[in-house]
Amino acid sequence: MAAPSWGLAAARAGVRPRLPAARRCGGAPAAGPPDAGVLPQQTEERPGSGAAAPGPRQVPSEKSESFASMLRRSPLIQMGPAKDKIAIGRIFHVVEDDLYIDFGGKFHCVCKRPEVDGKKYQKGTEVRLRLLDLELTSRFLGATTDTTLLEADAVLLGLVESKQTKQKE
Amino acid sequence: DDKLLSEPLSHPDFFNVKELFSLKDLFDARVHLGHKKGCRHRFMEPYIFGCRLDQDIIDLDQTMQHLQLALNFTAHIAYRKGIILFISRKRQFCHLIESTARECGEYAHTRYWQGGLLTNAHIQFGPGVRLPDLLIFLNSLNNVFEPHVAIRDAAKMNIPTVGVVDTNCNPCLITYPIPGNDDSPTAMELYCKLFRMTIIRAKDKRRQSEVFSELR
Repeated sequence: MAAPSWGLAAARAGVRPRLPAARRCGGAPAAGPPDAGVLPQQTEERPGSGAAAPGPRQVPSEKSESFASMLRRSPLIQMGPAKDKIAIGRIFHVVEDDLYIDFGGKFHCVCKRPEVDGKKYQKGTEVRLRLLDLELTSRFLGATTDTTLLEADAVLLGLVESKQTKQKE
Repeated sequence: DDKLLSEPLSHPDFFNVKELFSLKDLFDARVHLGHKKGCRHRFMEPYIFGCRLDQDIIDLDQTMQHLQLALNFTAHIAYRKGIILFISRKRQFCHLIESTARECGEYAHTRYWQGGLLTNAHIQFGPGVRLPDLLIFLNSLNNVFEPHVAIRDAAKMNIPTVGVVDTNCNPCLITYPIPGNDDSPTAMELYCKLFRMTIIRAKDKRRQSEVFSELR
């Protein structure tokens, strides 16, 4: 696998990988730069959050990437089945105890405010989620199409680690 | 005056709407994400690129073409001083659409649609009412996942429609369908931004052309 896993960790930490990507790809078409959805080598995958931009391009591509190639490299496809994958989301709306979290999929998920560090979950906070389903749908008896709840399903694990470690210090 | 109206029609993309968006913008705004396979509408199959782990992916190459046609048409309508009505029944984006319409100087209807608004207009609003010249559907379904009544009514009243159709929508009666995601906030903001920019651009072009023709 040519895709480096450090690119994924670096993108998550906010550091932007610069030259190595361009040099490595050499003669390959400009659709090379590693975005956050790089093929992981670990069993636990960490797709890029909805908040992080998909991979910086320092080399402006003359030949623009095709849709099929963009799709293939996107975090959503690289992630695979959504069941039990860890993702980072951002809270974009709060209604008392309900947190509406956007993690980069089609829909947002709604989670209850946890008892631990409850006050820290405000609009704009980044949180860790374990995804269960990207869209809650079900075919009911007698229906021709599925009924959709227009929501994703995820379990809230906690705040993004870096914040917690900073506060411990 | 004749030249003012006929000149834009001779160019395929008089208002250069192609430069307003790119494939990357659509991709980053999650326009290609569709609903699950079970929610798919049969007539949306030509616009679907494929199905990945039960989730439909919309073909963005086709979306680009349809979006360019739709924006071009909207620009021409705005250039000719047509009335544009934005319609959506999604409460999440109701405020966004109403503010977009206000910024363009056009109209929006994001509340419950009463039966005869278009077909019974002369009785409901009084005689001599001017109906909209274009309806733009940013969500073509209503709250109970049925096609919005205004699609059928616009077809009855010969009013052209532009509509964003997701994988669970029926694109049949819409004149310029735009296959794309209508559920994510990023996608809706992108559509609103594109429509706002085209309408403002077309109106400015019209004002410029009128000034030039007056100078002559």
